[in-house]
Amino acid sequence: MFSIDQLQVHYGLSHIIQGVSLEAAPGEVIGIFGRNGVGKTTLMKAVAGWVGASGGAITLDGQRLDGLTADKVCHHGVGFVPEDRRIFPGLSVEENLKLGLMQRKGRSRAEQNREIELIYERMPRLAERRRQAGTTLSGGEQQMLAMARIMVGQPRLALIDEPSEGLAPMIVADIFAIIKEMKAAGTIILLVEQNVDGALGVADRFYALERGAVVLTGNAKDAVDRARLMDVIAVL
Amino acid sequence: MFLDYIQFVLAPQMVTGLSLGMAVVLVALGLTIIFGLLDVINMAHGEFYALGAYLALALGASGVSFWLLIVIVPLLMMPIGYVVERGLIQRVFNMPDRHVTTLLLTFGLGLVLEEGLKVVFGPTTQRPATPIPGAVEVMGVILPTYRMFLIGLGAAIVIAVALVVNKTRLGAMVRAAAFDRNMAASLGVPVERVFAGTFAFGVALAGLAGVLLAPIYSVFPTMGRDFIFLAFTVVIVGGMGSIAGAVVAGLVITQIQALSSLVVSPVWSDPIVFSIMVLVLVLRPQGLFGRLGHG
Repeated sequence: MFSIDQLQVHYGLSHIIQGVSLEAAPGEVIGIFGRNGVGKTTLMKAVAGWVGASGGAITLDGQRLDGLTADKVCHHGVGFVPEDRRIFPGLSVEENLKLGLMQRKGRSRAEQNREIELIYERMPRLAERRRQAGTTLSGGEQQMLAMARIMVGQPRLALIDEPSEGLAPMIVADIFAIIKEMKAAGTIILLVEQNVDGALGVADRFYALERGAVVLTGNAKDAVDRARLMDVIAVL
Repeated sequence: MFLDYIQFVLAPQMVTGLSLGMAVVLVALGLTIIFGLLDVINMAHGEFYALGAYLALALGASGVSFWLLIVIVPLLMMPIGYVVERGLIQRVFNMPDRHVTTLLLTFGLGLVLEEGLKVVFGPTTQRPATPIPGAVEVMGVILPTYRMFLIGLGAAIVIAVALVVNKTRLGAMVRAAAFDRNMAASLGVPVERVFAGTFAFGVALAGLAGVLLAPIYSVFPTMGRDFIFLAFTVVIVGGMGSIAGAVVAGLVITQIQALSSLVVSPVWSDPIVFSIMVLVLVLRPQGLFGRLGHG
C-alpha cells in the first residue's frame, strides 16, 4: 500500500505542493493530471527523494519515505522514470540497464543476467543496440530504456513522468502496454501524463491537481468522472 | 654529429620529459577525476602529493622498503581523502556558490597542510635515495633505470584506472553519478559514498605520485604548490574531468617543456607551457577532450 498524507513542498518561498494526499494499492495505476506548473513533477520528485518535503508523510508498505535520500527511497522499492528520461550519455544501453539492477539488492549474478535477458526479449531493439551509447537511441528507444532501467529492479512503486512526450503514436501504444504489464505484475504506478485519453486507458483512478493541491479525484473508467476531469484540466 | 646529438642530448631529454610527463599525469589524474565527478577544483591536491612524499620519507626512514611504500602510502592517503570529502567538502557542497566555496575551502586546507608539513618535518629539502639506481642502455642511449621504471609503472596505473572507470560496474556508477547524481541515486547508486570514495582515490593517486617522485624532485613543504601548476595546466588543456585528456596533455606538454628548454632556453619553457594553457582557455575553454561521464 502506498500513501501520501498532507504533503507539503516548498522551493524557497514558493509553496509548490499544498497538502496533497493520495492512496494506491498494489497493481493500481494512478493518473496524475493538471495543467503545466501545478506541481505534478514536483510531486513525483518529492516521492523519489529528489526534493525534500516540508511537511506531511509518504509511506510505502508501512515504511516512511519522506526524509530519505533518493538512493534509500530506491532501495525501498521505488523506481523513477523522470520526464526527460535522463539516460546517461557516456554509458552504453547495457550499462544503463545494469545500473538499474542496483535498485534491488541480494540477487545473484545469474538472476541479474536473467533480468537483463527478459528485458531484451521484451524489447529486442534494446538488445540490438546493447553496445551503443544510450543517448544515440531514438526518443522512443530512450523512453523504452528508461522504463526498462526501472523494470530490472522490479519496483513496488513506479513513478512515471510524461512517458509519451514527443513520441510517435506506435511507440506510445507500446509504452502504455508496458505500463499495463507492470500493473499486472502488481506494481503500483503513479503516472503523470499530458496524453489524458491514453493515460485514462491504463489508469484505475486519477487525481487532478491545481496550484499544488488535489481538486478532483475519480474513477478512470467512469464517464462522469472523466468528463469532470476534462472540465478541470480544460482539454476539451 | 647529428646522430650523437640525438643519442646524447635529444633522446635523454625526451625520456626526462616522458618521466616528468608520467609524473604529472599521475597527479593530474586524481585532480581531473575529482573535478569530473564532484565538480570540485581541489586546490589542496598538490599538498596531498607532498603529504604522500613526506609519508614515504618518514616510513622509509623507519625501514619500510620502497616497494612496500608504493602500496602503503596510497592506502594511508585514502582514509584521509575520505574524511576530507565527508567532513569538509560535503558540508559546503550544496551551497549556492559551490565552485567558489569548495575552491576556497580546499585552498585553505592546502595552506594548513603545507604549514603543518613545515612544522612537523622542517623547512629543509630532503631527498630519498633512488630506489633503483643505475642506468640502462636502449639502442645506444643511456637512460636512468628509475625513470624508465616510473614511465612503465605510470603507464600501468593509467591503464588500470581507465579500465576500472570504463569497463567495470563501479566505473559505470562513477560515470553515471558524474553526469546526473539524482538519476544515479534513483537507480540505487550510493552517490555520497561514490563521491567520497572517488575523492579518496584521487588523493591516494596524489600520494602515490609523491612516493614515486620524491627520489627525483626532492621533498620540501612547498613541493606541492610548485608541481600543481603544471598539473592544473594539464587538466585545463586536456579538459577538466577527462582521463584521456590528462594523459595526452600531460605527455605532450611535458615534451614541449623538455624540448623547448633544449631548443630555445630553459627559462622560456614555463612561459611557453603556460601560454598553451591560456591559448586553450581562449580558443577551446572545455579543453581538448570531453568530461568524465559526459560521453
